[in-house]
Amino acid sequence: MEPFVQNLILGLLLGGVYALVASGLTLIFGVMRVINIAHGAFLILGAFVSYTVWNWLGFDPLLCIIATTPVIFAIGWVVYRVIVSPIRDAPMSSTVLLTFGLALVLEAVMGFIWGNNSTSVRPSYADESFTIGELFLPKAQVYGGLIAIVVLVALHLLLTRTWLGRAIRAAASNPTGAQLVGITISSVAALVFAIGIATAGAGGAIAAILYPFVPGSHYQWIARLLAIVVLGGLGSMGGAVLGAVMFGIAETMTAAYISPAWATAVPYAIVFAVLLVRPQGLLGTKLRDDAVAA
Amino acid sequence: MSEAPTTQVARPIWLSRIALGIAAVYVLIYPLISSDLYYQNMYITSLVFAVAASGLNIIMGLAGYVSLGQGAFIGLGGYTIGICATRFDSVSPWVWIPLAAVVTGVVALVLGVVSLRTRGPAFVIITVAFLFLVQVIAVNWKSLTNGTAGLSLPLPTWSIDIINWPFYYALCGILALQMLLAWWIQRTKLGMGLVAIREDETKAATIGINLPVEKMLAFVASSFFVGAAGAVYGYYLTFIDPRGMFSILFSVQIVLSVLVGGRATLWGPVIGAFLIEWINEVANNDLGGGNTRLLIFGGLLVGLVLFLPTGILPTAERLLSWWRTRGKAGLVGARVETGGAFPVAKDREPVPALAPDVPLLEVKGLERRFGGIRAVDSATLAVPEGSITGLIGPNGSGKTTLFNLIDNTLRPDTGEIWFAGERIDRLHSWQRAHRGLGRTFQITRLFREMTVLENVVAPQRTFSLSQLGRIAVSGAEAERARELLDFVGMGAFAGQKASDLSFGQQKLVELAQVLMLDPRLILLDEPAGGINPVLIERMSEMIRELNRHGTSFLIVEHNMPFVLDLCDPVHVLARGRRISTGTPDEIQADPSVIDAYLGEDFLAPQESRPSRDREVI
Amino acid sequence: MAPLLHLGRRARSGITLAAVAGLALAACGVGGGDDGSSSDDSSGPITIGASLPLTGEFSQPGQAAKQGYEVWREMVNADGGLLGRQVNLTIKDDASNQNTIVADYNALISQDQVDLLLGTFSSLLNLPASSVAEKNQMLYVEPAGGSPEMFTRGYKYLFFTQQAPVDRQGEVFANWITQLPENERPTTAAYPTLDDPFAIPTSQGIEDILAKNGVKTVYRETYAIDTKNFDTIANEIKAADPDLVVNGAIFEDGVGLIRSMLKADFAPQWLYQSTAPSLGAQYADAIGAQNTEGVMFAISHAPEAKTPGNPEFVAKYQEMFGGLPPEDAADAYASGQVLQAAIEGVGSIDDQAALADWLRDNQVETILGPLSWDENGSPEGDFLIGQWQDGQVEYVLPNDVATTDHIVMGWKPGDAS
Repeated sequence: MEPFVQNLILGLLLGGVYALVASGLTLIFGVMRVINIAHGAFLILGAFVSYTVWNWLGFDPLLCIIATTPVIFAIGWVVYRVIVSPIRDAPMSSTVLLTFGLALVLEAVMGFIWGNNSTSVRPSYADESFTIGELFLPKAQVYGGLIAIVVLVALHLLLTRTWLGRAIRAAASNPTGAQLVGITISSVAALVFAIGIATAGAGGAIAAILYPFVPGSHYQWIARLLAIVVLGGLGSMGGAVLGAVMFGIAETMTAAYISPAWATAVPYAIVFAVLLVRPQGLLGTKLRDDAVAA
Repeated sequence: MSEAPTTQVARPIWLSRIALGIAAVYVLIYPLISSDLYYQNMYITSLVFAVAASGLNIIMGLAGYVSLGQGAFIGLGGYTIGICATRFDSVSPWVWIPLAAVVTGVVALVLGVVSLRTRGPAFVIITVAFLFLVQVIAVNWKSLTNGTAGLSLPLPTWSIDIINWPFYYALCGILALQMLLAWWIQRTKLGMGLVAIREDETKAATIGINLPVEKMLAFVASSFFVGAAGAVYGYYLTFIDPRGMFSILFSVQIVLSVLVGGRATLWGPVIGAFLIEWINEVANNDLGGGNTRLLIFGGLLVGLVLFLPTGILPTAERLLSWWRTRGKAGLVGARVETGGAFPVAKDREPVPALAPDVPLLEVKGLERRFGGIRAVDSATLAVPEGSITGLIGPNGSGKTTLFNLIDNTLRPDTGEIWFAGERIDRLHSWQRAHRGLGRTFQITRLFREMTVLENVVAPQRTFSLSQLGRIAVSGAEAERARELLDFVGMGAFAGQKASDLSFGQQKLVELAQVLMLDPRLILLDEPAGGINPVLIERMSEMIRELNRHGTSFLIVEHNMPFVLDLCDPVHVLARGRRISTGTPDEIQADPSVIDAYLGEDFLAPQESRPSRDREVI
Repeated sequence: MAPLLHLGRRARSGITLAAVAGLALAACGVGGGDDGSSSDDSSGPITIGASLPLTGEFSQPGQAAKQGYEVWREMVNADGGLLGRQVNLTIKDDASNQNTIVADYNALISQDQVDLLLGTFSSLLNLPASSVAEKNQMLYVEPAGGSPEMFTRGYKYLFFTQQAPVDRQGEVFANWITQLPENERPTTAAYPTLDDPFAIPTSQGIEDILAKNGVKTVYRETYAIDTKNFDTIANEIKAADPDLVVNGAIFEDGVGLIRSMLKADFAPQWLYQSTAPSLGAQYADAIGAQNTEGVMFAISHAPEAKTPGNPEFVAKYQEMFGGLPPEDAADAYASGQVLQAAIEGVGSIDDQAALADWLRDNQVETILGPLSWDENGSPEGDFLIGQWQDGQVEYVLPNDVATTDHIVMGWKPGDAS
């Protein structure tokens, strides 16, 4: 029984990290209708930045989140202004291609700066675990999962309790109406994008202590993230969290009880299944497709 | 009856044909004149990508479905030949190439079926998932594919001097076939349908385009020859493994080729493929390798989407078209001619007459809610055959929603819809169109990127595979379309792009489009809205003319004189349900109608306004 | 053509096409394949070409291999060159990509017109590259592609310059385990393996020997190449409770598995890993130096070995690049030695087939020891077995080349000594 509980907890912790990053992805989609394929690349960028900060300053890498997140936020802001905002009204397939190109560019830049060798961040507690009875909970996973949850809660509060959050949600549901009440759409959009990217960066800082990474690691991350937001429902924050937790557990269980080899097929199988059976995901809303673009 | 090119463009056309010819011949004879393996290799790779890009163009350029999984078809072809050649090593590997094409087509068909309900970004995600999933299967199904260790094909047994020739020319042949297929599709009604799907999928359904079948056909067409090319490529490489064959960068390269060259053009993807592969090589060899290539590909993707979204060829065409036509007055401002008599379709099949009491269209208890709002609330009405029936009502009474329910743009919550004695509320839009139900839209929905003629040629009267294969750009179909365009008075605009037309002109074209279906019943949504009085008059005449030839109408209108002059009977809709039916005179006198339109506290102008001197304002 | 793009589209396509064709023609140079090759010139330098993964996922060993080739070139030229001619190296970057490496070797053969070829790193890249060489009937001596798949194709120009193909890499270790006295011998074993054409045969080869000799397999699973999360796997292994864990790994995954096992507080009595432990300080940093104690692995090269030319190689490497040479650099150097031996043995570079025949008939002394091949190019020697002791790598088997007699009996992580 213990291996089952153990795997369950590992899955939940993993899900926490996924939830943080996925919420940024779904936020961007919900407000801007942009599917950001470069989300995984920003995550890896966060990991590299975190690695650099840790290397230079020797801080605990999880505390490096405090430094990493603003840096990635700023980068996200700039990227939005320069690259993403011109195509906001383009068909969605264009934005997908654009963000894919952005991911490749990021991968190349990271390769130039940090090289293509495997990098990892090893805090002092990297190989230690909390022991609860028969359960072994790796400290890195626990700390990472907790921090992910904290950041996620902060994000939620930002979106629901602050003026900015209301402005974001207004802009999401009716851009024209929002402008009429004095909300500067372009600023809100830039902020939203930057916030979303920042969550990826924060997630990257956490992921850096969990797994080794190279610039090319972003593919695996974006594959998982897409599966999660599709599962939870594009645009739904609650869906992203739910989807992330379910996904983390599914991945862990598949690795444990079927085979580690097939565990990588899980994200893709999920994408297929969801888009076939229930395209709007668990908590997403069906888009009205009878509406004519007037 | 295609338009003859004027002398202005004759020279460029010949220039282009010559240039194209030279380039094609050069590529064809290259192995014969040069033993440079490096370039032979580059051309072989370019040919493979050209086939893949041309195939992708069918689903992406024509139908508008962006796929990042096209590379998977190359891999499937490679694996087919790899698996068969290693199992049956006494047979020449060449035998397996047609099989590779078939296998790939079947897998594409399955993918098409699976992804029928997805559009836009969801579709892109599914294609990426598909690519990775196939890779994972190739890795894990070791008994079939030998997993990550890969499969090795036998080395060529022929002379070293011509070692690449069979691969080279096999690929040239496959490319020729693929381009022939693409060219043929673009000329047929299938191609028209695909572009219509790209422009406006829901509208396409209402003019009889069978969405799932056309999409699946497009899928198969986009993958069949790509599988064959993949097989040849696999044999050429002699080594097939999951990471090489299913790399996402293949798909990126293929998408780039289509984007660079130009979507929906014939030669664009091919040119793009050669160009991108050349850039790929340059990036690798001269500019420093892996990261540089990523930077260039990524930068190209970003740059193309931002600055040159239609690609080189269409952009150049636009520029030169602008250059050619500047200073000349466009057709668009010219007055619309009055058309002639209605040209009845020559191949019209006789339809069994309805029993005397059976209306052509009957709606029973239809309901449709949006959240808490009942847009259509237990609506019941009938349209007799041969009539011009009116449907009026105040704003928000549910008229357009009712239309949307009748043609399946929307699904009802409950209720029945009967057409010609048959219940149709379970049928798709195109099935209703095939039974003779046509519909225009309040705000016209033409296919903006197509010409006027193409718009009218796109509808499909019936569904059959042979119908899909009919040439649309000339011949009987185009002939019929021109007749209809002449009838509505837009004959001179046949070559004009639909997005250039004024609103009234678009309305006329949309009517011609619907007429292409030879419908029994046409739902007209505000035909007199937003057009000048002369045109309204003309519209009225045309409706009467069509009615004389057997077409029934259900017209939604706000223009009272128009409706009351033209229609009998007239239904009145208010708050989602029918409140009155009758002749125009009866309706005008019905107090409940007046009440619905004007409200209880309205006093008629003659009674309420105090008499006062007319002041000049 | 399609009326969708009417009037003038053909003009546009034509102009663009003409431009592209012009570009292509210009890029080709006229007529390509012109002669005037340096191979006719019998006093000029000899050009040797190779393509290595200098970027991309194999960049680390690729860079090391490049260093090895460069050291070899320096030493050969300092010694008067090959057959009295200086050696020039042309090294391209294939970015760890198979299509690129095919293009690169085609370029080396037909554009750069090199006289001789050297191989690349990893079986995945060597497999297609060797096909190009074989099709063109050129000798292909390669340092790092030992998957059994390489040698089942009946190629006549292919030679792999490590001591044994991958499936026999752990043979010495496995045999040693089987002859341990009963009370010390492991009775159960787990085989977590990376899904990779290198790792699987290595682990399979060991399992075949051990299973036949009474060591029961209690866990055997492959994990995908992009697996990040090893905690589940570690838990599974722990539940199976093996005496010996044989991990067919490359690097990241080996590190990940060890860290996960430690987190799960599980340390099998014996631990054997492929590749990762041979990467020196990088490995020690990744898992913690105190955790390396007793890990055993196979390796082709020992810097301290007294094999012919080894001290000179190590010294030269230190001079050019600093530090001890990594295994991949040594293997590349050995490839150079093999090529050199063939050339000097035959006395000319013109007949590639003669060079190949010579190698099949002769043994070559290299810094890895004596190398000889069967008719498929598969080498017939024995690997070294190394073990981490006191934070250093010692070579413990075979006995005649061992650097120490002491063998730590098992994996003892956390022992800081």
